[in-house]
Amino acid sequence: MTAASIMTKEVLTIPDSGTMLDAFRLLKEKKVRQIPVLDGQNRVMGVITPRALMKAILPKYISDGLVADVKFAPELPDFVSNIDSLARKKVSDLMERDFVAVGPETSTMEVAALLVNPEKHADSVVVMDDGNRLLGIISPWDVFRRLWEYSEKKKKE
Amino acid sequence: MEFDFFLAIAIFALVYALLIWDKINRAVVALLGASALIVLGVINQEAAIEGVDFNTIGLLIGMMIIVFISQKTGMFQYIAIKGAKISKGDPWRILVSLSIVTAVLSALLDNVTTVLLTVPITLLITEELEVSPYPFLVSQILMSNIGGTATLIGDPPNIMIGSATGLTFMDFVFGVGPVVPLVAVGTLIPLKLMYGKSFRVSDERKKRIMEFRESEALTDRPLMIKCLAVLGLVIGGFMLQRQLHLEPATIALFGAAILLFISKEDLHGVMEKVEWTSIFFFVGLFIVVHGLIEVGFIRLMADMMLEATGGRLITTGFVILWGSAIASSIVDNIPFVATMIPLIKGMAPSFGGDAAVLPLWWSLSLGACLGGNGTIIGASANVVVAGIAHRNGHEIKFFKFMLIAYPLMLFSIAIATVYMYIRYLG
Repeated sequence: MTAASIMTKEVLTIPDSGTMLDAFRLLKEKKVRQIPVLDGQNRVMGVITPRALMKAILPKYISDGLVADVKFAPELPDFVSNIDSLARKKVSDLMERDFVAVGPETSTMEVAALLVNPEKHADSVVVMDDGNRLLGIISPWDVFRRLWEYSEKKKKE
Repeated sequence: MEFDFFLAIAIFALVYALLIWDKINRAVVALLGASALIVLGVINQEAAIEGVDFNTIGLLIGMMIIVFISQKTGMFQYIAIKGAKISKGDPWRILVSLSIVTAVLSALLDNVTTVLLTVPITLLITEELEVSPYPFLVSQILMSNIGGTATLIGDPPNIMIGSATGLTFMDFVFGVGPVVPLVAVGTLIPLKLMYGKSFRVSDERKKRIMEFRESEALTDRPLMIKCLAVLGLVIGGFMLQRQLHLEPATIALFGAAILLFISKEDLHGVMEKVEWTSIFFFVGLFIVVHGLIEVGFIRLMADMMLEATGGRLITTGFVILWGSAIASSIVDNIPFVATMIPLIKGMAPSFGGDAAVLPLWWSLSLGACLGGNGTIIGASANVVVAGIAHRNGHEIKFFKFMLIAYPLMLFSIAIATVYMYIRYLG
């Protein structure tokens, strides 16, 4: 089984020229783990992940892990309003450029291995062609769903 | 022999130049220099190993293990927050208390660990107060180096000096300790004049500081008790070093072994946190300097220095104090002190033996430790604070910092000069 056969083809995307406000509107409508960011030629430039956004609204000394546990501190006066300044930022400034991507012919096993790799901490895997154009996206549940379907089909045969 | 002489100097000069250039990791530079000395036949491996001061290495590793496990309990952050709350939310008083906490912790922990633990708390507090963290960070940089001067374990120069001379923890406390509070006050007063008026904070913001729950910072009380017991044992051991006839490395490594045993911490996790790059930097450096000793260069320099100062202890003392302060504000004080130690040892017989040169050791310690305050690259802690500040959107610029820090550093050396004159050299 290849990546192409288990990926979801209808993917929610956002242009790299957009603002974070556009991204928030998209997130309001649909529940997704990450949003691929595309340039004018449909090429994937990066992905927007909730983790990266969370890091962006926290002070760096917290998100860098210098004080990982802040239960002793009262909430910072600016913290809640940080979301407003975040909304004005450009998508291209906040996207993660270092995302996990595979080609359509990649095996399901490799996709699964990438999803559990602790160093990549990928929420899902982007599938793209040689020219970095988006083909689809694979979430961990996609892997299971397709594997399960395959196994069920096998039993019936 | 002649060829070896120049080869050793060339390698030493190259290592120094690369350390100042600061583009290659300092441990790699030191190890390259050390292995080049052996490969090129200037010294053999046996002689190289002899040059390594394993007492320094053992003390560093032992303290790194104890401090790493201790800081996990949150107790150092607890102290910082408690200090801020005692100040009732008044920004200047918070600056003073965070500075004192930084100085005291630096005297007992290494300076980099101290600022890594306290600076995030400072940033959190200044954000709650909505004041600029800049004066706080400047003060904490200065105080980490000032506090580190006070004890044998406070700063690497002291560790190296203590190890090479047999001067004990209490020797340092009585020898250089008394001048440290004077230098701290002499630094805080100018800072108060410069920044004291800039803090205007509403009562509502002050109240936010009082909402900090410092006891929540203590994440693991059973572990904390074990750590406090071991810290007490180790520091008590240092204080009784002479009576116990134990080297500091033995005491620190024994403490680390006990803590590893009673805390049941994951050994691999702890070992990963030992700063091996620093350790290998020390090993390489000791060998490079040992090469200079073997070929007789240090002997030559000692004679030259004696001639230049006319063999007078007071002149030599002040030259070392001011010279090491200015050198340490530019270059890492570790290689500088590693080079100065054999030099002073070489001069000792001319002054009438080891006991006579005691003031020179204190001059080296005060100059090398306090000198690091001159510039933002003068000491590792300075660089670390500047790095954290940068990540959080507060630039500490080289010249802007130097404009304040260099005069303050020179002032602290002036205080040390008066102290040395009254106590040892007058």
